[in-house]
Amino acid sequence: MDTSDSEHFESADEEFNSDTEDKNVKTKTISDTSETLKLKEMTISEESINVSNVKEVSTVNVVSNDNSCHDLKRKNVKPVVRNPTADKSDKRSKPGKLKLGVKLGTKITSTSCNAIKCDDVEDSKLKSNYDNKTSSSSKTNIDDNHKTCISALKDIKNEENLQKLDKREEIVLDEESNMWADDEWEPISSTDNKLTNKETNETNKTVQNNFSSGWGGWGNWDVTSLLSTATMGVTTITNHVSQGLTTVLESGIGVPDPEELARLNKMEGKSKESIEVDEEEEEKKEVDSKNNKSGVPDLTFGLGSFVSGVSQITKLVESTGNKVISSGLDTLETIGKKTMEVLQEGDPGLKKKRAFLKIDADKPVLSHILREAKEKAEQENRLAEEKHVSKKANYETLFDDHQGLAHLEALEMLSRQCDIKLKTLLESHSGADLIEMQETLSQIKELCELTDEDEDEKEELDESEIKEKIETAVTELNVSISYNKLMSTWKDISHWLENLDLNLYSAAQLHEESINILAQLTAVAVELFHKTGELLLIKEHRSTVDEADSLVQLTTTMTTLISDIAKKASNKLNEKATQSGSKDNVNQFITNVYFEATNSSSYIKNAFELLIPVLQVGAV
Amino acid sequence: MVEPIFDYQFRLILIGDSTVGKSSLLKYFTDGKFAELSDPTVGVDFFARLIEVKDGTRIKLQLWDTAGQERFRSITKSYYRNSVGALLVYDICNRASFEHIPLWMAEAKRHIEPHRPVFALVGCKLDLVSNGGHREVSKEEAKAFADQNGLYHVETSARKGTNVEEAFRSVTQEVYNRIQTGEYKVEDGWDGIKTGFTRPNGLDFNLVEAEPAKSSCC
Repeated sequence: MDTSDSEHFESADEEFNSDTEDKNVKTKTISDTSETLKLKEMTISEESINVSNVKEVSTVNVVSNDNSCHDLKRKNVKPVVRNPTADKSDKRSKPGKLKLGVKLGTKITSTSCNAIKCDDVEDSKLKSNYDNKTSSSSKTNIDDNHKTCISALKDIKNEENLQKLDKREEIVLDEESNMWADDEWEPISSTDNKLTNKETNETNKTVQNNFSSGWGGWGNWDVTSLLSTATMGVTTITNHVSQGLTTVLESGIGVPDPEELARLNKMEGKSKESIEVDEEEEEKKEVDSKNNKSGVPDLTFGLGSFVSGVSQITKLVESTGNKVISSGLDTLETIGKKTMEVLQEGDPGLKKKRAFLKIDADKPVLSHILREAKEKAEQENRLAEEKHVSKKANYETLFDDHQGLAHLEALEMLSRQCDIKLKTLLESHSGADLIEMQETLSQIKELCELTDEDEDEKEELDESEIKEKIETAVTELNVSISYNKLMSTWKDISHWLENLDLNLYSAAQLHEESINILAQLTAVAVELFHKTGELLLIKEHRSTVDEADSLVQLTTTMTTLISDIAKKASNKLNEKATQSGSKDNVNQFITNVYFEATNSSSYIKNAFELLIPVLQVGAV
Repeated sequence: MVEPIFDYQFRLILIGDSTVGKSSLLKYFTDGKFAELSDPTVGVDFFARLIEVKDGTRIKLQLWDTAGQERFRSITKSYYRNSVGALLVYDICNRASFEHIPLWMAEAKRHIEPHRPVFALVGCKLDLVSNGGHREVSKEEAKAFADQNGLYHVETSARKGTNVEEAFRSVTQEVYNRIQTGEYKVEDGWDGIKTGFTRPNGLDFNLVEAEPAKSSCC
């Protein structure tokens, strides 16, 4: 594509971005690479400076205790630089961190004064409490984590806080949408921003915008839940780990890899610290005013006050505090990883669990099964190819090649839609009406019961008889559809089989061709059923009984055709066997042909069953 | 007969008024043939083709050819959801078909939500214009509409094969670009994008996904 093309699409992107929902943004964020995560960590720290600025303004009156402030000023540069995430993060982000430390030194004066109110003794208590909890939780069995998952969810439902969260989110969201609208920034081109954001304030803001939208969800969530936990004292870290996991699972955004999760946990840990420390202050007011002034999300506040919170810890507390933080975060990381491992055990990518949470998997979807089988076979084929072994004929792949899978899938969509329609109809009825309707539905179902009769019909199929049977059935359907394709495909196949020159084909090739023609005929059958379903749905005057009758007729005719083809194909394989003398090998082929023929018949019957709701919708 | 290897499968849908040439466009794209006469599509038909994007990644396009006829409208809209790209097709020599494009686009957006597909505006029957036919939609007008809505625009002829390849290629490339940037991804329960399970580097997608759990043991 040339540049002008991509321009078109870019402008489309912008338009879309402007109405992006919070969910989308979240999803996007989770999938971000670890590199962007690192970038964001940096941004967080830089944002905290901005918050400190705001604090400077709002708490000028406290800046009287000069001595202690200066004393702390020197020490407080450390904790931020020694922030564990910073230590582990990419080398490129380090210069930023160092700069940050220097900047921080100048800004810290006022903020530390602000925080000095907090009682040091109580602070250290909190710290040691935190330490105990973390170390004990690290020993806790991971199974306990699952249990705490549930209790943690309950804990978090502090209604007041939730309401506040909603309000705040609204504010943040409003700001976001405005920012997105006139923003050229693209969330993914983070590497560019990484460079520029250090240089200019403007770009810094842009990144913040991204931050607030991308991480706002997490941030808001964090602080609210943390406020509630803070009031209850220091609850266990495991709660937070499991909350993190639950949110991930619930929002169905896919599973972030443990490293990412660990990082998130670290951030939680950080903001948690800050809130504990600042607990006694009238923090809520400050939160609101700061948010309004700076337009930075709550997480930023968390980190900003983290800086100020940490800054008022005395020399002694500081050193132990740092240990506590880093070891606590390591523990968090461990717990996070372990939990993910246990969750993913025997369930890579959490696919099963996600499916379990999302859909009521009461009945498997046929096209999915077929697709899975196809994919599996393709993989096997690839492996076989690598070993220079000839490819095996795979029914599902061939069925897809003939567009059978696509038609089946589309038919499933139709069927599902009709099911939904029926369910809503049933819900709207009551009493006698409801019973009547249910009876009608079950009557139709009875009409559609297939009988396993002419399965072992031995005589040769009469072509004209079959043709007549199909034509009568189609007339009864009373829709403008022709089943000629079915007849012609069957005729072509039969013709090909009858006039086959056995010398031109090996047994394996013959086997492959047999599977192919079975798949082809089945695909045609499914296609016709799909088309019939579509036409029935838009038909003006429905005659359900006739329709059911003729569809039953068509289904049995189709399965007869399938078994006819299977018989002919296996006869040919038998001939080939007597010709070449390799009986064992060919027997296996013949079994396989019959096996796939049975499969074909059951696919056709399944497709027919998918039509039942279509018939039912016509009757009520 | 076994399918060639592909890395991704994209599902694209073609929408637009009846008789604008959706099926002919697809037939040329998948078969390289043009049929002078063709029956109106019933409900939806399927086509498939393998295509390579710029970096050599192989994409299997599953193409959903919807019926344009009004009477199928209620049915076809249920097919929209699983598409990652939509080609809005109009007839250059049929003014009304172009005027309906905004409606088609709104309809598609609504049904594909929350996913945001790649759209392209495709004019058909270009050969009729050069053959003395009467053009009812100017290239400039269509282009202006496309620019306004951030669409790729192209005028094609399925009879001569003009720009047919380009129309599909541009949408495919754009979908692929959005995968590269992380905007689109493979999701459970959504069939717009699927990974081919036969990756050339020999890595199964499932294994890749499960890997972090194994390696993070401490």
